[in-house]
Amino acid sequence: MDFTERSTRAYRTKMLYTKEELAARESLCVHEQPAFCTAACPLRLDARELTRLTAEGDFSAARAMLERAAPFARILAAGCEHPCTEKCRLNEVPGCEGVNIPALERATMRHGQKRTGRGLLRFKKKKTAAVFGAELFTLVVAAELAGKSYPTAFYVAEPDAEGLLSRCAPFLGEEDFSAALDELKSLDIAVSYGCELTREFIAAEREKYDLAAVSRECLAALDAWEPDGVTLYCEGARVLARPRDGEGVLRAFYDARRAGVSADRLAQGMSPANSRGEEGAMESRLYTDLSAVKPSQSVQENGAYTPEEAQTEAQRCIQCECVECIKGCAWMQHYGKFPRVLTREIYNNVGIIMGDHMFNGAINSCALCKQCTVTCPNGYDMAEICLSARRNMVATGKMSLAVHEFALYDQLFSNGEAFLARAQPGFESCEYVFFPGCQAGADAPEAVWRCYADLRARLGGGVGIILGCCGIMSHWAGREELYEETRAQLAAALEAMGRPKIITACPTCAGALSGLGECVGVWDVLLSLGLPEGAPSACGAVTLHDACGARGDGHTQRAVRELAARLGCEVTEPEYSGDRAPCCGYGGLAGYAKPEVAKEMTELALRGASGVQLTYCMGCRDRYARAGAESVHILELVYGAGAGSPPGISEKRRNRLELRRRLLRELWGEDEMQKPLDFRLDITDEARALMEERMILDTDVLSVMRHYRESGEAVLENDTGLLVTRHRIGNVTFWCKFTEDESGYTVVRAYSHRMTIETR
Amino acid sequence: MDEQKSYYVIDPEGKLTCHKCGVPLVKANAVFGYLDNAFPVELPVCPKCGFVYVPEDLALGKVLSVEKVLEDK
Ligand code: SF4
Ligand code: SF4
Ligand code: SF4
Ligand SMILES: [Zn+2]
Repeated sequence: MDFTERSTRAYRTKMLYTKEELAARESLCVHEQPAFCTAACPLRLDARELTRLTAEGDFSAARAMLERAAPFARILAAGCEHPCTEKCRLNEVPGCEGVNIPALERATMRHGQKRTGRGLLRFKKKKTAAVFGAELFTLVVAAELAGKSYPTAFYVAEPDAEGLLSRCAPFLGEEDFSAALDELKSLDIAVSYGCELTREFIAAEREKYDLAAVSRECLAALDAWEPDGVTLYCEGARVLARPRDGEGVLRAFYDARRAGVSADRLAQGMSPANSRGEEGAMESRLYTDLSAVKPSQSVQENGAYTPEEAQTEAQRCIQCECVECIKGCAWMQHYGKFPRVLTREIYNNVGIIMGDHMFNGAINSCALCKQCTVTCPNGYDMAEICLSARRNMVATGKMSLAVHEFALYDQLFSNGEAFLARAQPGFESCEYVFFPGCQAGADAPEAVWRCYADLRARLGGGVGIILGCCGIMSHWAGREELYEETRAQLAAALEAMGRPKIITACPTCAGALSGLGECVGVWDVLLSLGLPEGAPSACGAVTLHDACGARGDGHTQRAVRELAARLGCEVTEPEYSGDRAPCCGYGGLAGYAKPEVAKEMTELALRGASGVQLTYCMGCRDRYARAGAESVHILELVYGAGAGSPPGISEKRRNRLELRRRLLRELWGEDEMQKPLDFRLDITDEARALMEERMILDTDVLSVMRHYRESGEAVLENDTGLLVTRHRIGNVTFWCKFTEDESGYTVVRAYSHRMTIETR
Repeated sequence: MDEQKSYYVIDPEGKLTCHKCGVPLVKANAVFGYLDNAFPVELPVCPKCGFVYVPEDLALGKVLSVEKVLEDK
């Protein structure tokens, strides 16, 4: 199989999800759900934010929030029945009390500065409004309507402002009363005191205005029908009024707000029921982790909180939010967003026909590890979304080959040149086949060699071997065609061995191979056979990292722990372990697509780790060692075959080839003679480091130099005396800088590019 | 695309020699191509055999960054 480059001039798209499929995914994420206190408030006051501001001591900003939410915020704060405090999640912690939010509001009104400046000059509306009768509802409605710029008249029986206010809010203390009085006087309302609110008076006055609201008393005087429960509108009398059941301070404010919405509809000649949106209190679906909350009591409110008391009380708030997934996932942390938003961006990115796909990098750097599916209380599956997006991009020719080409060719190499599938010598068919996985052969060939010898010696019925890749690379790359091809190749090999049980040494292989035959972990085999002779029994302290490939596989997680115990390991576990373990950064080919993101994954997985990092996946073993940690795969421990520092990209390939040759030579007596090079080829350490970083293989350099020997084409840098030559292999042009003598070449630098070049 | 525009200019004057032909490289027009896009450049070229030299700083600088942009188109 070969990969050809795509064209950016082919415009194709395929929908990633239907609207319903997208909604079904997005709705699982509750991150943007309101906090429980906020949801309980019919005014939808963001109590979490108010509490946060108060905790920081920013009383003025908190006060401004409150004043935006309702007129006469003083009255609200003083009398609110505070369902928020009852719904506060802290109540669920034994011995803990909900945050006293209304007390914070009172403190806020007292200690915060009033906003100065009235903002923009607003033009009066053409439609006019009248309000009749004094009660808290009508007082707030009048303020609402005036706030909406309707010229507003207010007819009350009370003789003056003081009388009006004590009628509407008799519960106010002295300070609040005078502040509310000031607010009332400052409002642009034409109040007529001392009116006789008879049926005739109200009916006659009402006709002079476009909009009207009345108190319960005036409603009774009008002998009108009950208002509608949602719009608060009485069709017959053409007035707004609060329903009979509408008692309480908070309810008066909520009803006033609803009446204001109705007034706007009526003013526009619409039905008041028109497009009102969601109103009132709601149930929040938010999830908050309470496990770390320490019980605490509310600060006593004696009169009113001092600023310090208010801050102390507010600081008890845990700022309810769901961050379960992002806490454990470096990918989300890198992109700084939550799954619902990420999903939408991925969906949009896939839908772009022409132009920049800003989210390709994110799609291709998720580890596909499914940690989020476990950490999220609703099982959000980002991996499915990223993988679907990759497949979609491959199908529509939008997936750049550059992203995964190296890994894909690595898989082709493992299952081509380095592939080996044989029954044990002397057996036609086998009971077992050992499948160590491509990374084990690359990183720890000696451990694989010893393990295979041990399995042959101690298991009856023949133990075959397959050296190759399980195909996961192509699966991760979204290239299903190659994945299926690889599965067919492995299926044929297994068939030829008489369908043996597959002994895997990598949980990811086990997952990929399931369906091709019965799989059993090498750990299970070693547990039932017992440790081989010479295995250590006092390995000491280790940190055990679960592989993301073993997520949901409690059996394997336990087997490895049991095996580690027999090796005398004293195991500690990282914060995220078992099913919640993160990916090391190898998964999903993240390291190929976005090395910097993969590095952050490795760092997060190793956070706080010291000493020996024990793994049971060669990918983890490799990445942890590369990050400077002392890491070891459990097979290296069992067979006393520590592989040391991890090999480079070329050495990995050589290790696989060498393991294959060794097996062929020593088990089957087949000596594949390697033709030695007919010239000297040295690569300096500097060139080697560059090659590693630039993903250039020794074999690439060899091809370039062979081409030079044939063509003689090179450029001489006059000042350095170095020669530079190039050769195009597949989709990449490789360049080598070198010196030459009669015996051969010394390569001092290497680089590459994917662009083609032509002269005109 | 603007044919006059050149994405890279280098003057090889006296710095580079074609090893095969033994003649100095000269500045000449060339075109980079990637994913069905083309970019005119001026590069050192051998006037005899036509060998085009892409210096390391160009390959890892401008060329790489344009590759990356196109890969996300
Ligand atoms: S864990 Fe993450 S995906 Fe799940 S609900 Fe919370 S924020 Fe959303
Ligand atoms: S802890 Fe804070 S955010 Fe959560 S419900 Fe209570 S007051 Fe609201
Ligand atoms: S890296 Fe793993 S935990 Fe993070 S989004 Fe991807 S699959 Fe989920
Ligand atoms: Zn030449």
